[in-house]
Amino acid sequence: MPTPTYTPLATVTLASSASSVTLSNIPASYRDLILIHNGALTNTDNIVWRANGDTGSNYSIVQALATSGGASSNSSASRTSGLAGSSYTQQSANITQWLDYSATDKHKTSLGRANSPTSEVGMSASRWANTAAINSLTLLGAFASGNTFSLYGVIA
Amino acid sequence: MKLIESKTLGTAQASIEFTSIPQDGTDLVVFCSLRTNVNAIAATLSFNTGGTYTRRRLQGDGSSVISDTASVDLVVNASTGTTTNTFSNTQIYIPNYTGSTAKSYSSDSVTENNSTEAYQTLIAGRWSETAAITSLKITVANTLDAGSIISLYKITKGSDGIVTTSP
Repeated sequence: MPTPTYTPLATVTLASSASSVTLSNIPASYRDLILIHNGALTNTDNIVWRANGDTGSNYSIVQALATSGGASSNSSASRTSGLAGSSYTQQSANITQWLDYSATDKHKTSLGRANSPTSEVGMSASRWANTAAINSLTLLGAFASGNTFSLYGVIA
Repeated sequence: MKLIESKTLGTAQASIEFTSIPQDGTDLVVFCSLRTNVNAIAATLSFNTGGTYTRRRLQGDGSSVISDTASVDLVVNASTGTTTNTFSNTQIYIPNYTGSTAKSYSSDSVTENNSTEAYQTLIAGRWSETAAITSLKITVANTLDAGSIISLYKITKGSDGIVTTSP
């Protein structure tokens, strides 16, 4: 029998604009988490994530992206959040996967795919310098009404 | 994630199409393993009929990288310039495919080649139509070789009753 995957854990559809969405009480019973964000933003700021409410400078990122300005790559450390998509005021599809999120012996990493048609496409890796299991995720961005967030668990 | 249908080409064809896609899922995922009989690596994705497509592409070829507004959605292994018996790999993700807004999608694609030149292509795509996606087609310039495979899956959103959300 195939191993179940993409088990639905939570879905949020915004009834009005919001600057953050928090998913709490995430069970530790999966190997990976996958978040699908779909929708438009009200400005061009990146979508970012924080784990377990940690607002400290404990995150680092590296990304490669393509915009109208060309292809580029950059990195930054001691950030207060990881990347969960660089979106624009157009319908976008952003995918972020947290690997081995419930382990307690390793820093947590995520892989991200940012998709804003015509404006930006990118891939990113983020690290949260903390060995705690992730039990909540907060997404920050200028989310418009109608934005959807779907969280799935993947069993190893 | 549940398999809707998988197609393996027994003979060469110019395209592979899925029709009558069930409307009880939230997202669609497409996995492709493709090779074509001409020296053209480009393939396109299309839904239903009509509409316009806009894309942003990040592509590397083993020695350089570009950013542009592409007219293609994925790369496939070509008959010349790539190692015999190798096929490309692609994953396409389409969220909210039954929704009533324009459809955005993500495509990650690579060609396989035992040489310096191989392509890695990321696409952010948008289809302008607001209709639900009921059919999906992958098309190449000439024909896809026998042995090419495309599999279509659906993912259904929901809640486990444990995770809480705010707002």
